[in-house]
Amino acid sequence: MSGVAFDYLRAGDVAEALTAGAKPGAAYIAGGTDLMPLWKARAAAPALVVDISRLPLDGIGVERDGRLRLGGLARLSDTAAHAAVTRGWPLVAEAINASASGQVRNMGTIGGVLLQRTRCAYFRNDALPCNKRAPGSGCGARAGENRGHAIFGASEACCATHPSDLAVALAALDAEVEVMGPDETRRISVAELHRLPGDAPHIDTELAPGELIAAVEVPPCGGARSTYLKVRDRASFEFAVVSLAAVLRVEGGRIARARLVAGGVAARPWRLEAAEAALVGAAPSDKAFDEAAALAVDGAEPLAHNGFKVDLLRRVVKRALETVGGAA
Amino acid sequence: MADAGRPALSLTVNGEARRIDAPPTATLLDVLRDTLRLTGVKKGCDMGACGACTVLADGRRIKACLALAASYEGRAITTIEGIGTPEALHPLQAAFVRHDAVQCGYCTPGQILSGLALIGEGVDSVEAIREGLSGNLCRCGAHPNIVAAVAEVAGL
Amino acid sequence: MTRVESPVRLEAALKVTGRAVYEAETPMTGMLHAALVEAPIANGRVLGVDGGPARGLPGFADLVSYAEAEVFKPSGSTALAREPRIHFAGQPVALAVAGTLHEAEACARAVRLDLAAEPAVTAMDQALETAFAPDIVGRYPATTLRGDPGAALAEASLVLRNRYETAVNNHHPMEPHSVVCAWDGDRVVVHTGTQAIFATQRLVAHAFQIPADQVRVVSRFMGGGFGCKGQLWWPWMMWAILASRRTGRPVRLELTRAQLFNLVGRRQETVQDLAIGFDAEGRLTGIDHAVLGQTATHGDYADGTARVSRWLYACPNVATTHRIVRTNEPLPIPMRAPGVAPGLFALESALDEAAGRLGIDPVELRVRNYASKDPETDRPWSSNSLLDCYAAAERFGWSGRPAAGKARDGRWRIGWGMATSVYPVHHQPCRVRVRVEPDAGLLVQCGTQDFGQGAYTAIGQLAAEGLGLPMDNVRVELGDTDLPEGPFTGGSMVTASFTPAVETAMARLRAMVAERVAADGASPLADAAPDDLVFEGGLVRSRSRNAAEGLAEILARLAPDGLETEGASAAPENMAFSANAYGAIFVEVGVDPDLGEIRVRRVCGAFAAGRILNPLLARSQYVGGLIGGIGMALHEQVATDRASGRIVGDTFADYLIPVHADMPEFDVLMLDEDDPHLPGGVKGVGMLGTAGVQAAIANAVFHAVGKRVRRLPIRIEDVIG
Ligand SMILES: Cc1cc2nc3c(=O)[nH]c(=O)nc-3n(C[C@H](O)[C@H](O)[C@H](O)COP(=O)(O)OP(=O)(O)OC[C@H]3O[C@@H](n4cnc5c(N)ncnc54)[C@H](O)[C@@H]3O)c2cc1C
Ligand code: SF4
Ligand code: FES
Ligand code: FES
Repeated sequence: MSGVAFDYLRAGDVAEALTAGAKPGAAYIAGGTDLMPLWKARAAAPALVVDISRLPLDGIGVERDGRLRLGGLARLSDTAAHAAVTRGWPLVAEAINASASGQVRNMGTIGGVLLQRTRCAYFRNDALPCNKRAPGSGCGARAGENRGHAIFGASEACCATHPSDLAVALAALDAEVEVMGPDETRRISVAELHRLPGDAPHIDTELAPGELIAAVEVPPCGGARSTYLKVRDRASFEFAVVSLAAVLRVEGGRIARARLVAGGVAARPWRLEAAEAALVGAAPSDKAFDEAAALAVDGAEPLAHNGFKVDLLRRVVKRALETVGGAA
Repeated sequence: MADAGRPALSLTVNGEARRIDAPPTATLLDVLRDTLRLTGVKKGCDMGACGACTVLADGRRIKACLALAASYEGRAITTIEGIGTPEALHPLQAAFVRHDAVQCGYCTPGQILSGLALIGEGVDSVEAIREGLSGNLCRCGAHPNIVAAVAEVAGL
Repeated sequence: MTRVESPVRLEAALKVTGRAVYEAETPMTGMLHAALVEAPIANGRVLGVDGGPARGLPGFADLVSYAEAEVFKPSGSTALAREPRIHFAGQPVALAVAGTLHEAEACARAVRLDLAAEPAVTAMDQALETAFAPDIVGRYPATTLRGDPGAALAEASLVLRNRYETAVNNHHPMEPHSVVCAWDGDRVVVHTGTQAIFATQRLVAHAFQIPADQVRVVSRFMGGGFGCKGQLWWPWMMWAILASRRTGRPVRLELTRAQLFNLVGRRQETVQDLAIGFDAEGRLTGIDHAVLGQTATHGDYADGTARVSRWLYACPNVATTHRIVRTNEPLPIPMRAPGVAPGLFALESALDEAAGRLGIDPVELRVRNYASKDPETDRPWSSNSLLDCYAAAERFGWSGRPAAGKARDGRWRIGWGMATSVYPVHHQPCRVRVRVEPDAGLLVQCGTQDFGQGAYTAIGQLAAEGLGLPMDNVRVELGDTDLPEGPFTGGSMVTASFTPAVETAMARLRAMVAERVAADGASPLADAAPDDLVFEGGLVRSRSRNAAEGLAEILARLAPDGLETEGASAAPENMAFSANAYGAIFVEVGVDPDLGEIRVRRVCGAFAAGRILNPLLARSQYVGGLIGGIGMALHEQVATDRASGRIVGDTFADYLIPVHADMPEFDVLMLDEDDPHLPGGVKGVGMLGTAGVQAAIANAVFHAVGKRVRRLPIRIEDVIG
């Protein structure tokens, strides 16, 4: 299968990439594992593909200040296997290893995994209406098949979910993306990288066209326990139906810090702030976890086929808290 | 034959240096299967979701249908044709034959290359083989025999 | 009888080295590539196909649609290629041909269509009032009535009335459909992975109005089929063959994975209303099984879904009906255990439920309802080892079945379930040619196909055993209409069909050898009677005296040009027996009651399917079938956008099939079964694994968490909902 013809440029250095990437119709390619299928399905039609895969942005290491720095072009498999990661940020490795397959993880990169686009099947089929792919054509999923769609933060225009497992984990770790543009380098928290659809669902993220993800930085976990819980129909090689990254630090019998971020439920990793707030200060207990789980689904707005996700998310929160909350 | 100005691509394929004319949109799968006629590289979905096109790039398993060929300029690619021949099977290929890990055979080259890479990654349990091969679909249902063959060669 | 051994798959070395050439890979010089233009509407007419914009594009070579296809002689199989009528969304309306695949796809995208859309029916429930009974289901009546089920159900001590539903599934062989074709004058060679080379040959010959012997169809290797590598895609294949004739160049058309959701058939979606009644001892007194299924607007298709209710168990009062609804969706076609798989899901789920209500063990309930002869026809069974299959319960550990909902393993609740499996035996006519060279090299030729089921190996093995030669001496050629006509691949009947033909041919070869040695005074076997000779270990030996000679020596001396003969078998007519293969399937599942995840942990299947030629390959077939059944039970569901009639989620990332990580432990028990009434004693193993396992899984889920799910696939929402 093939999409519309494009030109190809391998960027020799970051400056060349940024210049080329700023041209209209340009798209970066790293591992290509999302861009290529999108191109074949004609959900992406770049005029120029700028190959950034050989830029020296693939380092993985711990900074002086103790933060983990993952280059934007670091391979997912290298990241998950890196000793610093497995030791200090096991949640990152866990989320990566729950993603895709060995082959895809050998190709996919940190930048690409964050910027991969929704799995909404209407989006990925140009014979169907989709406001994200073809603004103004309508949202096929809202009145159509929407088992996999959002229960939070959707709009009339779009109810797609963001599919990345790693983004969910990184959001729970308060990670930041380092973004390079032609004029400046800036930081965006992973939790705020993706936009809710509103009336412009064709814009997925806060990145301006041509901006590059240079790295992701993750603060140290500071003794917190974490887990990535991914629920799916088959045992492997499937995107999450619902997932949850939970990070919990218990000090002196009280929960000192809680991060709960859900995947598969919204157009961005969905932070369950009310549930987090309810946990902080409480002693880990069945009751506390039940309360948090109930708060987690407050305000959910399910569609025709995804009502079960509300109940499922509640159960997932409970289970994940039991895992990280110790023998409560 | 080639359009003027088409970039030529250099790859080392199964140990041999090759120069190939390919449009910028060509995938590694297009180049291997159609241009170089290495038809042991299978096309099952062309969308990254079946594993039939699995090859090794610098020793790592990848899906050739997701790989933009131009991105692999200068890399060493190994396809099933580079692993063994009917007269001189690689031990993993021989194990596939013995365990009847082959039915229609269409997923087989991908399973073998994926299995080889997995063994190289140091897989340490049958469970891990199952998980590690999950990116390679098989519709005939040869899975248990495939896993048995890989486990045998991995020494598990 | 020589002991059955398990030689490895004959063609395995070619497959594991990537040297087996599948038909799309056939090299041809000057080949053009084709791409289909798909209809964006689900119902309507094509008023015009404007290829203008495509003609100017790089590489453009030809455009074919219904207008160009008028040259085809009309037939049902080419109707869609010849008529400007759109029956379902995504139906091809034209074929663009160009120098490369990417160019052809660009040309196809450039074609402008003038269409007249009409309102479409995109789901069965939009047109229930139009449901009607088809003439036949498979080759059997759509409606049957035995006794008085209404009265029986009214009087029964237990009656269960429930609705069971099964989703649309797609076959999805890993190799997509393809054709590579080339004309030489008015002869054409067609390379296509098909389950029916001869039917393909006849179709092409008919459409182009040329004699069949001018059409050669080749299908040596096929990357799976499961029922879909057949007629439904013929219209589009025919366009490619036409384009090849028009351009005078070889043409290749390969379907995309997305097109395999639309253009090659599907497992019929069913809605089944099943009422079953029992007496107090758990004997079936009445069954009423009514099936509703989807068909397309361009053909009536119905699986024989309720057929199992007619004859699996002894029951005096049985009504079965099938009705279908025409919708603007793709046409169904047989898929792995067609009819039987969905029908057994209903029947075997109902039996499980009844066992619970009656307080009878599920195995015991089935034993009590064993049919000692065919209850539908009153004919005896050719053989029936179902009761022996149930004995596998012990192997599974059934008697230690935990109390419902009580067993756990970490987060998993453990459940056990079982079901009966059955599949009818069918035969087709088959011819084979065998040739032995003076060096005892053996060549067997048969125009049937191997799509992975192991025909190469089984045929080679029968031939080798027939002359007492090692497998290394045998070469097998299949999949070419230049060979003697063999059966199409389907209905688990290929092995049953070729076995008697190969055995006849080998008996003839032995007779030819025997005749020659007997007449040869120089041979130690001179004057031996034909039935005194045994062919074994490369030797021909006399039973009565201590004399033997090497087969190769005999042939070199007495048949310097080799010996050749044919064997044939016919489909038995008016059999005095009914014939089925049987199995019993026991399953252990783990269900996470909170998260809704279901994983099959253990499957034990006992199967009796007559003579097993090669246990190694038969086991692979059973396991493969079981895995297909697990997919149907837990994963596979095609979703259709009701607004447009389009399939949504037409990739393997959306349509889930089981992966390695889903695999349970399999324990397959193959029972010895000697069936003297069937030719060659062979029944067929292909479908048996795919039938019954769905209900066994559903029953195990119920046992684990108390949720009776009557709709396939069973998913997270069914467990937690
Ligand atoms: C079959 C299949 C199954 C999968 N299953 C999962 C799963 O279970 N969970 C999961 O999380 N993911 C899954 N994925 C998605 C996969 O993880 C992503 O496709 C992959 O990580 C993307 O990385 P890439 O480098 O290949 O991105 P590319 O395809 O190269 O790029 C993706 C997008 O990001 C942009 N981009 C890439 N890098 C940068 C950068 N540094 N700066 C700016 N822009 C950039 C590109 O322009 C493009 O728009 C699956 C993919 C496939 C094909
Ligand atoms: S949910 Fe969003 S991505 Fe999906 S069809 Fe609607 S607009 Fe498109
Ligand atoms: S063909 Fe590449 S993954 Fe299917
Ligand atoms: S052997 Fe046929 S798909 Fe795996």
